[in-house]
Amino acid sequence: MSVLSLATRRLAKASITNTRLFSSSSIKLQAEPLQKPVLNKEFKIYRWNPDEPSKKPTLQSYTIDLNQTGPMILDALIKIKNEIDPTLTFRRSCREGICGSCAMNIDGQNTLACLCRIDRNASKDSKIYPLPHMYIVKDLVPDLTLFYKQYKSIQPYLQNDNPPEKGEFLQSQEDRRKLDGLYECILCACCSTSCPSYWWNQDEYLGPATLMQAYRWIADSRDSNAAKRKELLQNEMSMYRCHTIFNCSRTCPKGLNPAAAIAKIKLELSAD
Amino acid sequence: MSARRSGLQRDVLNLYRRALRMVKTKPPSTQDKFSLYIRYTFRLNASSVSPRDVSAIEHLLRKGKRQLEMYEQPSVKDCWVSEDMRNWQRNSHN
Repeated sequence: MSVLSLATRRLAKASITNTRLFSSSSIKLQAEPLQKPVLNKEFKIYRWNPDEPSKKPTLQSYTIDLNQTGPMILDALIKIKNEIDPTLTFRRSCREGICGSCAMNIDGQNTLACLCRIDRNASKDSKIYPLPHMYIVKDLVPDLTLFYKQYKSIQPYLQNDNPPEKGEFLQSQEDRRKLDGLYECILCACCSTSCPSYWWNQDEYLGPATLMQAYRWIADSRDSNAAKRKELLQNEMSMYRCHTIFNCSRTCPKGLNPAAAIAKIKLELSAD
Repeated sequence: MSARRSGLQRDVLNLYRRALRMVKTKPPSTQDKFSLYIRYTFRLNASSVSPRDVSAIEHLLRKGKRQLEMYEQPSVKDCWVSEDMRNWQRNSHN
């Protein structure tokens, strides 16, 4: 054995005996850390790799200990990615339901992985798929290009040719209240991809998320372009493909009601 | 190739034609590079999947369309050509 490794060994030994404890009571008097039992749960996750396009998508199963994991599905996914399979791909960012990145289909329901608790029943597996009826970029990452294009098509910004001479646009409290339940939308695409109408007519029907934002700008008292915005929706496909299925309101992870917003647009359009 | 083509074959050929038209809109000094890139990418992808694997071809089509939309922007004026592409060009001409 070399001199160097001997020296490092001696050093290591010395540091163990001389470790300074941060607790003031001696080890014998301290409470024993609680040993949690192992609670293994199986997660079945949709896998598809674009680098091998001729291979079919598969469900891959991972088993992790729930007592060593955080409470949410996103915690489980991150644990799997960190410890078991680094090739698992998904979008995530804020982990608190404000960015809308981690939208996916968990046990048959479109929701945000960061807001969805893991079912503690270990005898049943959890199935995780990407958002349904979207083209897949990889694993749990859907291609949202069309969704964003549709959002862009409704011109989601304030349009008013007569800005106030000084300062900002003023708005009464009632007018502001009209925007509640609309502006909170984070565009996670959970509602649009849960809508059968959107599945079949994605190219022409705008979908609940986009329509709710369209109404958000129609309802805004500061915007003067409402007539033109309504005209854009006045055709067979853009909005009237909504058949009040209500999947959008049922699935919304933020608890919003896109179906009600669409109903209000329909009401305003029928008055034209 | 026979005159009757399937819808998918026509889609692929349309994409290829659109890509070759894109080359013409680029500065003359870089057109060779663009056309080499287009031809190499199409040949490589065509040999990588079976003609019967419809879903894989559709995926490659979507990917190609997205890439082409990017290349069609007038701000794109040059493209990079790898050593593999140059080798392929040399071998295919001999």
